Amino acid sequence: MHNKNSPATFWVFEFIFRVLPHLVLFAVLIWLWELAVGTGFITSIIIPRPSKIGGAIVELYITEGTIYRHFFITLTEAVVGFLIGATIAISLAVSSSLSETFKRYVIPYAIVLNVTPGIALTPVIIAWFGYGMGSKIALAAIISFFPIFVNTLTGLVQVDEDREELFQSLGATNYQVFRKFRVPAALPLMFAGLKIGLTTALIGAVVAEFAQATDGVGVLMSRFSFQLNMAASLATLMSMTTIGLILFYTMEFLDDRIVFWRRENRRAAASRARARAWKNQL
Amino acid sequence: MPDPTIAQSSTHDIVVSGQGVGKTFADGSVIALQDAHFNIKRGSFVSLVGPSGCGKSTLLRLISGLIPPTSGEIAVHGTPVTGPRADISMMFQKATLLDWRTAIENVLLPTEINGTPTKADKNRAFDLLKLVGLEDFAFSFPAQLSGGMQQRVALARLLQTGADILLLDEPFGALDEFTREHLNLELMRIVQEVGATAFFVTHNIAEAIFLADQVVVMTSRPGRMAKIVDVDLERPRPLSIQTSVEFNKLVEDVRETLGEM
Ligand SMILES: Nc1ncnc2c1ncn2[C@@H]1O[C@H](COP(=O)(O)OP(=O)(O)OP(=O)(O)O)[C@@H](O)[C@H]1O
Ligand SMILES: [Mg+2]
Repeated sequence: MHNKNSPATFWVFEFIFRVLPHLVLFAVLIWLWELAVGTGFITSIIIPRPSKIGGAIVELYITEGTIYRHFFITLTEAVVGFLIGATIAISLAVSSSLSETFKRYVIPYAIVLNVTPGIALTPVIIAWFGYGMGSKIALAAIISFFPIFVNTLTGLVQVDEDREELFQSLGATNYQVFRKFRVPAALPLMFAGLKIGLTTALIGAVVAEFAQATDGVGVLMSRFSFQLNMAASLATLMSMTTIGLILFYTMEFLDDRIVFWRRENRRAAASRARARAWKNQL
Repeated sequence: MPDPTIAQSSTHDIVVSGQGVGKTFADGSVIALQDAHFNIKRGSFVSLVGPSGCGKSTLLRLISGLIPPTSGEIAVHGTPVTGPRADISMMFQKATLLDWRTAIENVLLPTEINGTPTKADKNRAFDLLKLVGLEDFAFSFPAQLSGGMQQRVALARLLQTGADILLLDEPFGALDEFTREHLNLELMRIVQEVGATAFFVTHNIAEAIFLADQVVVMTSRPGRMAKIVDVDLERPRPLSIQTSVEFNKLVEDVRETLGEM
């Protein structure tokens, strides 16, 4: 007989039924890949064997550890670029939501910026900001701007006549309506924008590195590719995926905490926390 | 001509009055309310009934100061209404709670808008939640509450304003009959307890009479006050009063005015 409530039993079941199938599938895919390259079905110059990539990973990440400097440079570029882009986007979105005139003048520029492929600005940006981190940060900021701007603005100008009338009947000032109603109501959409923006910021940083750079995972990867060292190149790609995952889950975490009222389990936790805070202050 | 002394003592008791109040929309092409006259005494419970579109919500929004009348004047405590004021508070058909605030934080919203809530304000908010039977749900978020519970939070918020004129626009209209009847009883008890003057919009004639001291019967196109029916039934009223002869006479009276019989 199994006691389904015991945590140990729970994790065993969780592993067998939810995690194990993924691991098996992954192992099979890698094995097929290894087999395909081994039998000469795919040329190993174009796509290296997984075992060779494994060797490159060990070299880059463990024995030589060359990747880390580049890893942190790219991570920094993406994050700083994102923060700059997000600050500008949110400031302009807030101003546009407060002033119809301001919005009328800002929107055309935002649209032009959006329809111009941001990546195409790379040569110009490098000419302006140089080979260093500056140009990577600038491109990351530029291409993360639009999704954050549009989502935040859409959130802020949502119409909710009933609640607006409630605030009005309570004699609230415009500032109170903004702070107590418009901003919280806009948060879910703003976070949707921030999540997209953070992903695009990484794209911006890496593309700028591909174009011209001395440091960063992008330049490392293109160097390996030029040397036809595909195993090392793909091992480097893995660090970009890692950066992407770090950024994505940081945002998910913040979204979960800040826009807590949309998720059942977070609501319950917030509800308990507020009850405690209430009892402490009384 | 009425005796001037009597007139004076009665004006003292009047909290809300309207003289020839009218409201049109869309450059005068929609007459939402026409030529309404009324004098409501302190502590009365006034029900408003009438077909859809006869101007019930418009009348409440005029009294609350959310919209200005096109003609005539509404006065509260003798001064004309020019905008939202602290002694009037309105409750809407939907609960209009803020999703990111717990029940008690929602109740405290009116106090926050007037300044920083004190300990006394917070205790009062908690007492009001107790009054509407939600002390166990004070720290729940709206999404964790049923529709009826959300309306009760909205009712507590209405009372937290401290206003003594309460405007209720079909507050329990979206709820099932069982919950609605229960909340109506609570509302009646609470309004009496705090000594407020209440305006209550409903589509249900029996409900209107059961709760009210006066039933304002309205007709549409254009919206007007057709008749004000006084309800002289003793309080407290048991639910069974609805089967009494007097009660049914009042129902008939209201029906006739509405032209349904
Ligand atoms: N903001 C507005 N703009 C234009 N017309 C309006 C507006 N508000 C109300 N009206 C019109 O005024 C009339 C009265 O509306 P009101 O909302 O007061 O009716 P009601 O008696 O509350 O109806 P219901 O029982 O359906 O809620 C309707 O014909 C409506 O179309
Ligand atoms: Mg209405």
